[in-house]
Amino acid sequence: MSTIEQEMVHAAEGGHHDHHELPFIRKYIFSTDHKMIAKQFMFVSLFFLVIGGLLATMMRWQLGYPGEPMPGGMILPDAMMAPTPDGAIMLPEFYNSLVTMHGTIMIFFAIMPLLVGLFGNLLIPLQIGAEDMAFPRLNMISFWLAVPAGILMLASFWVEGGAAGAGWTSYAPLSASGEWTGVYLGQQLWLASLTILGFSSLVGAVNYITTVINMRAPGMTWFRMPLATWALFITAILILLAIPVLAGALIMLLFDQTLGTGFFRPEVGGEPLLWQHLFWFFGHPEVYILILPAMGIASEVLSNRARKPIFGYHSMVLAIIGIGFLGWIVWGHHMFMSGMNPLLGTSFMISTMAIAVPSAIKTFNWLATIWKGDIHLDSPMLYALAFVSMFIIGGLSGIFMASTPVDIYIHDTYFIVAHIHYVLFGGSLFAIFAGITFWFPKMFGRLMNETLNKVHFGITIVLYNLVFWPMHNLGLQGMMRRIYDFTQYEYLAPLQPMNRFISISVFLLVAAQAVYAINFFWSIFRGEKAGNNPWNSNTLEWTVPSPPPHGNFPEMPVVYRGPYEYSAPESEEDFLPQTKPPSKKPPVQDPIPQPVTPTPEGF
Amino acid sequence: MTTQAMTAGRAPMPGMKVYNLKLGMWIFLLSEVMFFTGLIGSYVILRFAHPDHFAEPGVVLNVPLTAFNTFLLICSSVTMVKAYAAIEQDDQQGLKNWLLATIVIGAGFVGVQVYEYIALAAEGFVPMADAYHAVGRHMPHDGPVVGGQLYGSTFYTMTGFHGAHVSIGVLCLCFTYWRAAKGAYSADNLGGVEIMGLYWHFVDLVWIILFTIVYLI
Amino acid sequence: MSTGEAHKPPPYMLVWFGLFALTMAEVGYAFITALPKLALAVGLIVMAFYKAYLVAVYYMHLKWEPRRLWLMVAAPIPLIMILIFVVLNEIFVP
Repeated sequence: MSTIEQEMVHAAEGGHHDHHELPFIRKYIFSTDHKMIAKQFMFVSLFFLVIGGLLATMMRWQLGYPGEPMPGGMILPDAMMAPTPDGAIMLPEFYNSLVTMHGTIMIFFAIMPLLVGLFGNLLIPLQIGAEDMAFPRLNMISFWLAVPAGILMLASFWVEGGAAGAGWTSYAPLSASGEWTGVYLGQQLWLASLTILGFSSLVGAVNYITTVINMRAPGMTWFRMPLATWALFITAILILLAIPVLAGALIMLLFDQTLGTGFFRPEVGGEPLLWQHLFWFFGHPEVYILILPAMGIASEVLSNRARKPIFGYHSMVLAIIGIGFLGWIVWGHHMFMSGMNPLLGTSFMISTMAIAVPSAIKTFNWLATIWKGDIHLDSPMLYALAFVSMFIIGGLSGIFMASTPVDIYIHDTYFIVAHIHYVLFGGSLFAIFAGITFWFPKMFGRLMNETLNKVHFGITIVLYNLVFWPMHNLGLQGMMRRIYDFTQYEYLAPLQPMNRFISISVFLLVAAQAVYAINFFWSIFRGEKAGNNPWNSNTLEWTVPSPPPHGNFPEMPVVYRGPYEYSAPESEEDFLPQTKPPSKKPPVQDPIPQPVTPTPEGF
Repeated sequence: MTTQAMTAGRAPMPGMKVYNLKLGMWIFLLSEVMFFTGLIGSYVILRFAHPDHFAEPGVVLNVPLTAFNTFLLICSSVTMVKAYAAIEQDDQQGLKNWLLATIVIGAGFVGVQVYEYIALAAEGFVPMADAYHAVGRHMPHDGPVVGGQLYGSTFYTMTGFHGAHVSIGVLCLCFTYWRAAKGAYSADNLGGVEIMGLYWHFVDLVWIILFTIVYLI
Repeated sequence: MSTGEAHKPPPYMLVWFGLFALTMAEVGYAFITALPKLALAVGLIVMAFYKAYLVAVYYMHLKWEPRRLWLMVAAPIPLIMILIFVVLNEIFVP
């Protein structure tokens, strides 16, 4: 049998397991089914999201109530908190670890696996009409590499010297030698953990790219793919090409720490700036990895809930590709203050200004999508609208930073922290809330409770803005990042009340997330049962039961049209699924030419 | 259910027009290109930044031995390609023989590199900053130091990771040989051999570039 | 047949001889001390990349693969140029 025929037989046999029930371990623990792996990523990532939030809460205690004993601090070891008669006071070294680990865990263990591990795994095969990923066992390996990476990262809190404390960007020479931070093994564990996680992401990317290129159902041409799949595809390419450069840099830094080499240590002839270039060459594509899938999710939800086609589908695709492409030549804007060559700085400024254009195109297209739409203002829509508005704010603050002369003033201040959190929380996280709520029925066969979600949304959007908007002001007034006690500077002391206000808002914000958590777990067991297509959507995942059976589609589907035919004239309903065959009798005026027979030979 | 019923006689979109395993391996190799770019690129940049740390070709490193090693790796690529040509003709014995030859030559490459490392370390050429004392070949061991610490760091990292990739390749070749011995491959089912070949040729390709940049320039 | 279009057997041994000859040429060229450093470096790089090209096209079968695969394989090349060129500029024009 030829290799291609073998693949088809495997597809046939993988399509259903009616010959034996899988044992618990093969079905739930070491599953090769992309939908189960998606859920595994989801549960583990949500756990890390909570951890990241707790770390931020502790940070905000110190900033809001500097030097005061922290409630509950006594249970933490002496390495982190200094015990006093009144309670435990945070040590500066521990604050540095909190800053580092909050960033690291949120970016690598929460947002990235939620967007790519959850939505990449869940949506790609379903939306293109495939029965699973191209390499299901590799998919399983990808998840089970991420788990030990997470364990190593958490374990680093309890080793001598504590967890990594050089910032999530781990600049050399601070990170290259433990004598500066007091952290030895913790920094090495950080490096090892990220290297393993990088490998996990890499094999995942190979899987996603191969699947999207080679396993699209007949009729699913490139320009009939949903934007969520497009975004995840380009994201996977970014992961594929950026992560290896990070891996090389991490390994060189690990050698500097353990073997005594000197790649980045100036005292033996190394180049600290080399670390920054290598890290940000990866780091900038990384931030697009963190936003592109969110943009894809937003496009799906906005279009569906407004019952209108996405405005400018082709330009949306080209914008995603454009962002993916331009993202490789802007990394220097993270380094304007590093002492780099000023001519290079100018060219990075220009390319960074340019990359705002495709993002703006997408934003205008989202607005045009919902303009005069039949808007259903339910919770996925609310989250998606929040995504667009908060992303606009985050993007606008980015323009300030893109301009080198302005960045000289605001670099490493809370203005940057505000920007980061507007795009990552206001952007990515709200899109994740939208996506989880939207695809929850597909994953669990039940809907989340609408009322609880609306309550969660209302509280979160208000508190979130109370936390992060004032940080723009703090930054402009000179408050720097990653600082344990800014009140030591006289000119910053007046900012203490605002910091306390932010801290209190953070405590309330973190507590409010319990509403979503309760809704999430309650709905898995007691939510209202969902049919195949509770949102009346067009894409392929909604043509199969919720949750889909192993193998997804009973037989390979055929695609006749694009994914955004909402309120189309040809259909009596306000949606027209991609797989619904065109009616035999063409309508009198057919504005959208449709193929009468599927064209599997098309590109 | 028959294959016919499962797929309803339909085929997926043509895509890249190569089968999944091959496409997947090529995509993985692209990530490997970026990995070695990071390492070799760092070497190039550090060399331009601190040329005094590095030495002229042949002064410290053993060029004739490594040139022979390069030739060895190229030969193993030939044996690999002969193995693939054999299974294209359904020649099971030929496949096994040429795979075995590739394994032996590949292991030989690693062996020569290990010997090279030991010899260099004995001359004091090591990656650690504090223990560094490279004096060059055929020079007194306690002579003046040639180059600086960056030379050892970059050399061992680049060649070491390449060597690790070769070693993993040898292990995978052993696995492929074991599968071939069980009759897993045929003229219609040679994807496993082909992707093994792609990885092995890639490792050879990287070495061709690495050898030139590190040993000859 | 799962290996793409049919074609006559590739000239494996000819390519092997070419690689062997080029390796000898490289080693010889590297030790011509009369040449300026730049000519040495450029010449060697050209020879190395040509050898790599031979391996990719003949041994890795690229010559007989669809054009779109060539395009995909070429994708990292601009990235490599960008990384090395930009960071080198950092060092040469402080």
